[in-house]
Amino acid sequence: MAFAPTDETITIDQLTRDPYSIYRRLRAEAPVVTVKSIGRTLLTKAADTRAVKDNAALFSNNDPNTPMQRAFQAHTLMRKDGEEHMRERMAMTPTFSPANLKTLWIPAYEKLAGEYLDRLPRDEVVDLFPALAGPLAARILAIILGIPDATDEEMQYWSQALIDGAGNFGYADEPFARVDACHAAMNAMVEARVPLLKAEPDQSALSVMINAEDPIPFSQVLANLKIAIGGGINEPRDSLLTVLFGLLTNPDQLDEIKRTGNWSTAFEEGLRWVAPIQASSRCAREDTEIRGVDIRKGEIIMTVQASANHDEELFEDGHLYNALRPKSPHQSFGSGPHHCMGTHLARATIGKIMLPMIFERFPGMQLVEPEKVVWWGFGFRGPLSLPVRLN
Amino acid sequence: MPKIIFVSPEGGRTTVEASDGDSVMQTALANGVDGIVAECGGAMMCATCHVYVDDDWTSAVGEASDDERGMLDFAASEVRPMSRLSCQITVTGDLDGLTVHLPDAQI
Repeated sequence: MAFAPTDETITIDQLTRDPYSIYRRLRAEAPVVTVKSIGRTLLTKAADTRAVKDNAALFSNNDPNTPMQRAFQAHTLMRKDGEEHMRERMAMTPTFSPANLKTLWIPAYEKLAGEYLDRLPRDEVVDLFPALAGPLAARILAIILGIPDATDEEMQYWSQALIDGAGNFGYADEPFARVDACHAAMNAMVEARVPLLKAEPDQSALSVMINAEDPIPFSQVLANLKIAIGGGINEPRDSLLTVLFGLLTNPDQLDEIKRTGNWSTAFEEGLRWVAPIQASSRCAREDTEIRGVDIRKGEIIMTVQASANHDEELFEDGHLYNALRPKSPHQSFGSGPHHCMGTHLARATIGKIMLPMIFERFPGMQLVEPEKVVWWGFGFRGPLSLPVRLN
Repeated sequence: MPKIIFVSPEGGRTTVEASDGDSVMQTALANGVDGIVAECGGAMMCATCHVYVDDDWTSAVGEASDDERGMLDFAASEVRPMSRLSCQITVTGDLDGLTVHLPDAQI
């Protein structure tokens, strides 16, 4: 057998602007390929991405050569395996229990969603990215994490700083300096809440973690909260904007969804169409093979779930948003032990509450110049704006 | 090896051989049975490996734990008294011939 072929032509800029045409070519020509500019071996077929993520025994999350640890000032659970990962993950799990979602977080979101929609101006052009999707995602997250005093602006700024730092593969100074300043602010915010939550525990993530019988170290409590801040805003924000774009540019589908009430299906299709988290890294623990290609021990694999979600073997015309397509599972929430902790929250809040609510409030909502909306991102992806007229 | 029978919503039966100690979910994935998604890979975090245990097998399989029952609240299809997450059913010799019915949807 042979090692993966190397592609020296694909640039990070191309993958940031228009990844899907590249992935289509790779699925057909080189589904296991080392991309020189990324320095990693990309998997673009659905069967391969799923198999790697489900096989944590062979494919570790601990990619040692990323700027993430520097950016987060911690070795986080995202890059840990096995028992160590599970212990830190389980520390937060009670917050996301089905009972808490049902009795606390979903009702809280419903109330907030109404309030944030009430603030939107009618009959003028409004960009739903900064006016709705970003701040609402920030607000519910601050409440669930147990730091309600953090403003929407702070939460979004911190989140972006963490993302930019974790993606700072060029190790430039500015992103690290910016995120370092955020750590000081985040730590102060969290530490101020600790005595209050010790005295009056609630179901928030901070409270559950510090009041546990056998708590994880406080350094990891902080790391867990920061992972949630870094990863808990852009996904709900971008998925909401993506679904709205998909429905508003396909009015026939929107009419049918309004008729059937299948908003959850419309949401899942948006997640499939443009996965908010497009790719993830894993490190081979042993020599192995994927699709007949030799993989060396220590080789860094990127599972490109964005591409898996467009795989011709599973989806016809996968490049098109189609809320009416036959149901087939996508991989946007990942799979295996690192499966997204916010999955049920996202499905319940955006799929079941926000989508029907926004179209009920604004049945005549229209996109303004959809052709000017810019889609952006290699690791994380979504529209950079969503200008609409609400009525 | 114990046999497990999966019945699709349309009534089609798929019989597969299982290994002792595997979960029913793992058995389905290993044999390419459609209708089990198992997003989380067996950590009881996703409710996408929902099955209805056949009436003849409910006592042999046993009931869902409270945590499992809670997670079933997120199942995409109707939850019934014999609903289980198939990742939480471990195959043993006693379950040779176990029949489970697949729901209409997992997501």
